[in-house]
Amino acid sequence: MSAYFVAIGIVSLIYMLLALGLTLQFGLTGLINFGHVGFFAIGAYTSALLSLQGVPLPLSFLAAAIVPGLMALPIGLISLRLRDDYFAIVTLGFSEVVRAVITNARELTGGTQGIPGIPRMYPGLTGLPAQLAVLATVGLVTLAAVWMIVRIARSPFGRMIQAIRDNEVAVKALGKDPARFKVQVLAVGAALAGIASAFYAHYITYIVPDQFIPLVTFYVWMAIIMGGASRISGAVLGTAILMAFLEGSRFVHDFLPGVSEVHMASVRIGIVGLLLIVFVIKRPQGLMGDTTQR
Amino acid sequence: MTLEVRDIVMNFGGFRALDGVSLTVPAGGLVGLIGPNGAGKSTLFAIMSGFQTQDAGAVLLDGRPLDALAAPARARAGLVRTFQVPREFRNLTVRQNLLAAAPGQTGENLLGLFFQPGRVAREEAVIARRAEETLRLLKLAPVADQPARQLSGGQKKLLELGRALMLDPRFVLLDEPFAGVNPVLIGEIVARIRELNAAGIGFLIIEHDLEALTRLVPYLAVLDRGRIIAQGGPDAVLTDAAVREAYLGGVA
Amino acid sequence: MTDLLQHVANGVVQGLFIGMAALAITLVFGIARFPNAATGDMMTFGAYAGLVAQQAANSLVLAGAVAILAGAVVALASHWLVFRRLAGRSVVSLLVASIGVAFMIRAVLGVVFGQAQAVFQVPLTRAQLYWGVRVTPLNLQISQVVVAALLVVFAVLYFTPIGRQMRAVADDRDLARVSGIRPERVMVALWLMAGAVAGLAGMMLGIKTVVAPEVGWEMLLPAFTAAILGGIGSAPGAVLAGLLLGVAQEVSTPFVGFSYKIAIAFLVMLGVLLVRPSGLFGRSESVR
Repeated sequence: MSAYFVAIGIVSLIYMLLALGLTLQFGLTGLINFGHVGFFAIGAYTSALLSLQGVPLPLSFLAAAIVPGLMALPIGLISLRLRDDYFAIVTLGFSEVVRAVITNARELTGGTQGIPGIPRMYPGLTGLPAQLAVLATVGLVTLAAVWMIVRIARSPFGRMIQAIRDNEVAVKALGKDPARFKVQVLAVGAALAGIASAFYAHYITYIVPDQFIPLVTFYVWMAIIMGGASRISGAVLGTAILMAFLEGSRFVHDFLPGVSEVHMASVRIGIVGLLLIVFVIKRPQGLMGDTTQR
Repeated sequence: MTLEVRDIVMNFGGFRALDGVSLTVPAGGLVGLIGPNGAGKSTLFAIMSGFQTQDAGAVLLDGRPLDALAAPARARAGLVRTFQVPREFRNLTVRQNLLAAAPGQTGENLLGLFFQPGRVAREEAVIARRAEETLRLLKLAPVADQPARQLSGGQKKLLELGRALMLDPRFVLLDEPFAGVNPVLIGEIVARIRELNAAGIGFLIIEHDLEALTRLVPYLAVLDRGRIIAQGGPDAVLTDAAVREAYLGGVA
Repeated sequence: MTDLLQHVANGVVQGLFIGMAALAITLVFGIARFPNAATGDMMTFGAYAGLVAQQAANSLVLAGAVAILAGAVVALASHWLVFRRLAGRSVVSLLVASIGVAFMIRAVLGVVFGQAQAVFQVPLTRAQLYWGVRVTPLNLQISQVVVAALLVVFAVLYFTPIGRQMRAVADDRDLARVSGIRPERVMVALWLMAGAVAGLAGMMLGIKTVVAPEVGWEMLLPAFTAAILGGIGSAPGAVLAGLLLGVAQEVSTPFVGFSYKIAIAFLVMLGVLLVRPSGLFGRSESVR
């Protein structure tokens, strides 16, 4: 049982890293990134492939942060001049193209078969101690990410990205170039997604393209919208709700033997859709958000 | 040190919004720009500040054309505008709105933020003092820590002016600074603008409140259907026959 | 040369589907002012509705009518239940809500029909040669139906009062309002039309390929690309751009491979947006 909770903890923290990236990008800056999972996928494949070539895990994790962060730069330079809604479409398209590439570049990525046998972290440990060591590591990294984002949010940089979210035209009138800030934000969020994905790949030890569908992006959106997009506490609460929902739906499935896994997948996606709609209509500021804000 | 527009032409589809507008604001000048709705005043501001690109003509600062500069670069060059409909950073406090406007902050770069914390703190202290002065100057100190969205329309106008001042501008383009501001406060804004002008900042001011405007500016230009139809001292301009015909609709 | 013509012919058929999906997107984008990410799933909904009707009544014509109706109903329902409540809100609200609608439609279809692929029962026919290009009668009929449907849509848009009102709102919402156009009537007409187009497009796509829960979603990126390429809000532009993109995808297949079609669409979109950040014929927003 405790192994189960440790496992939940690890997956929760991975989602929390994703949610923190999106909080920075959307909550603070207003960037509608619908392609988060694309950066997650790039990080996962980067770290998995490098480690299978014998690169030590600390280095492959570093690469998993740097490569998606660098990928964010051209995406940012091309698309940050665009209107918010076009940016959303472009990022969604980017993540689908990433999925098409990893599905089809068989020599490199194993195609739909994916990459099995990705090295675990802490190979010297087994069983619960190994799990706990992973939990502690991802926990520390998440804490560091929270510290970094709090630090950013309260800094002059954070002030400016929130100004961009509130009124981009006024930012330009004050002599600052919004694109310069947005590119940095996009890169940091992508790097966080990349680190999250390295933990994911080396914990699950097996990645396939189907793990990187847009639904994952919208799981994270659901988390931050429910929790409250403009607050770090919102990302934390939202991730907790998301995990309760994902795990809860598995329990329901276990208790209702008549419901097939296929049906349950549909029910799950329907509930995600419903929650997105209800929160956007009824409580756009999220559970932790300031109710005087619109 | 002058601000000049020369033969500006701007078309929207088949409609000629500006038809060869030329106007000069001398260094430390104080010029009012009036004209009926739709005359092209805000379009002229948008072109001067780099938010729209004219079809012909040039904008010059100290005789140097600004056409190659995008809006942010023009603001950094010392030509700062405000907006007719206030564009406050609604979820930031009034104080944060001012701090955000301060130029050249090391802490606005992630590398600077994490690797030069001492320098960031020192700069922050300096601009905090600037912001404090500006808050006092514009009588916004009592609301300094409220979110800007809670301000009245008039206070938002003041905040726009305050943010512009944080840039140490050489010229400020004010778009209807008195709209929605109560009469007592108008008097104070007029006094502030005079002080700032005396300190060397040039102003070009769009305003419909002629009474307040003529109290402030020694020089008026009148824009009508995309052309400057008159300019000069307020008394001469407002008694000009063409101006009375166009601007006042020929009633008087 | 014949190969090339063959790819062009295939591309035209594919382009008609993209064009219809883009038409549904551009109508909503132009009038309700947001990119409707549920368009693809509205197509899927139409495809399944048509499938059920065909299995029940064994009539493709009836199935087409049911697909059109189903698309229109689900679109109007999403307007009433979701999008209308978000009028005046930021574009991100509408975008996220449209993702929500997409997921809910897909969930309903998944629960009712499962994840397995289904096919329309259509008679197998031998391909005919036209100038060396193989064309199956089925593809020809599908194309005829799509063209006929497009003609009907354009007739409504250009020759009926409600169509003129829709175009007026797309051109200038404020001007349309002051000239006495009732916005809600236009919105209802818009969603009925966009839904009907999506529903029929979904069924035609289902006949040509298969019916599966994700067929519509997979059309979304090419359709957005065509809508942007054609100029947001421009109905003829969307259809033409769809055709262009369909042909471009098919013609490039021998070089880049079948599975990278989506990348072609993406690159075209980036290219267009690089040249014109507001879309090829998009209005540039003014700042006053």
